[in-house]
Amino acid sequence: MSRALDPFVIMAYRQFRRFLRTKARVVTSILNPIIWIAFFGLGWANAFNFPMAKAIFGGVDYLTFLTPGVTAMAVFTASFIGGVTVIWDKQFGFLKEVLVAPASRTGIILGRIFGDAVIAVLQGLAIMALSFAIAHNLNPYGVLPALAYAFILALGFTSAGVTLALKMTSMEGFQMVISLLMMPLIFLSGAFYPIKFMPDWMKWVAYINPLTYAVDGMRHYLSGVSTFNPLTDLAVLCVITAAFMALASKLFEKATID
Amino acid sequence: MTEYAVVAEGLVKKFGSITAVAGVSFKVRYGEIFGFLGPNGAGKTTTIHMLATLLKPTAGDAWVAGHHIVKESDAVRRSIGVVFQDPSLDSELTAYENMYIHGKIYGMSGEELRYRIEEMLRFVELYEHRNRLVKYFSGGMRRRLEIARALLHKPKVLFLDEPTLGLDPQTRAHIWEYIRRLRDEGGVTIFLTTHYMDEAEELCDRLAIIDHGKIIAEGTPNQLKRLVGSDVIYLKVRAVNGAPNPCDALSAPPVMECKPLREGMIALKVSDATQAIPVILEKAASMGLKVAEVSYRKPTLNDVFLYLTGREIREEEGSEADFLKHVIRVRRFRRR
Repeated sequence: MSRALDPFVIMAYRQFRRFLRTKARVVTSILNPIIWIAFFGLGWANAFNFPMAKAIFGGVDYLTFLTPGVTAMAVFTASFIGGVTVIWDKQFGFLKEVLVAPASRTGIILGRIFGDAVIAVLQGLAIMALSFAIAHNLNPYGVLPALAYAFILALGFTSAGVTLALKMTSMEGFQMVISLLMMPLIFLSGAFYPIKFMPDWMKWVAYINPLTYAVDGMRHYLSGVSTFNPLTDLAVLCVITAAFMALASKLFEKATID
Repeated sequence: MTEYAVVAEGLVKKFGSITAVAGVSFKVRYGEIFGFLGPNGAGKTTTIHMLATLLKPTAGDAWVAGHHIVKESDAVRRSIGVVFQDPSLDSELTAYENMYIHGKIYGMSGEELRYRIEEMLRFVELYEHRNRLVKYFSGGMRRRLEIARALLHKPKVLFLDEPTLGLDPQTRAHIWEYIRRLRDEGGVTIFLTTHYMDEAEELCDRLAIIDHGKIIAEGTPNQLKRLVGSDVIYLKVRAVNGAPNPCDALSAPPVMECKPLREGMIALKVSDATQAIPVILEKAASMGLKVAEVSYRKPTLNDVFLYLTGREIREEEGSEADFLKHVIRVRRFRRR
């Protein structure tokens, strides 16, 4: 039994080790959300500092509204980009070492997804700590459930990143596709402004955007406002995450060196 | 199948319209060092990838350590270690971590794993460097670490794809030493590919010469060299109008066989070159042949390749620019 889990555990361990060694990744992944919270958040928080503004954001001040969204964004970015390590492994050859091994392919890929997802959630946790320092109306009891939503989100988008990376061969191509998808998904997730004020076509995009449900769920627990029922959020996230994980496993199962 | 470590029967691999391996059959005995010698692009790496279960053959069958490479790929994977031509280490990790992760993936653990890592790192003399990140290792150190890693789980068959490609002569000699020790201390069968004549000659108990995806000769280095004769004389004959075909003119004792090569070169198989050369030159002059160059040597594997294909193995290697072109071509090729 423990032997069967070995590939899973060791790949998660490897992702950790590598992450801690690449300081640049740690710094950029935390710096970006800090810039959003500090420059975007604090700036607008002052502009929205009038009694009626709270109504726009469901009854809370702008920073309380924004910070769970930025946390979700940080987790999403870190996990989606994490797929780049698969491309590195392709280019630097480590993938071959894994493909020729007699171990369960599913165990290997899920271990690596798990490892990267935990890393992404830890980055989200750092942003969450910062949020509590800046926004004063966040609910500390919401941290744990919010982290659970963040973890499911991270599993889903790490899998999506890995799937994409398995299909792509060049670093440039991967980064292009990722950055092309990332911005619209973030803006259309309700992280920065409420969905209900979006034009109708935008709303529809927001409804099919998986990130929307993570932002909404996390905001429900941390700020106390939400668009959907948090259980709906959870269900949608779980389905999408399961689908991406299955896709990544299936693709990796069939991977050959090409 | 049991007395052979590797058996291949008519292996074929096609990539689209390109045939990389055009039906190779061979057998490797347990405990020997068997080599695939041939120029770049001859199909050596593709053959290794098929035997190591990383590519499915288009046709044909093969067994490694008694297991079928497609139907029993997991059993094959458990019985082999592979050192790829391109690096396959995780350079952000230390030497020890690379070994540890490999061991865990192969189902090893605890004291057994720790002991074996130390043993193998000492074997390739990297134990002192075990806690350094691989990205600071030299090419030779990386190669040694890859050999140690491939041996960690005690494979029955070790595949080495161009084990000394791009290494300096001293490091190459060092790696040959390890490979010989592996055979002498027993236990592991080694299948290697190379395009270096000296490497094939130094290391291989038996070898197959491969060109354009086909095996064109097979045997011990000495058997192969005997194909060419005990001495071989190379003559460059200038084309003159009315002169007879040089091989027709000279194919009589002491010449045992004459073979035309490229650019007016002919290769003459003789038993003693020092005595044969004056006789041949005299005869050539009397037949109206203009001899521009003469040389002779004891046959090497290079002469064997030249004799069998009319080209030198090195021609394929070419200049640095050609090499890069080759790399680019391979990359493009892989991307499809």
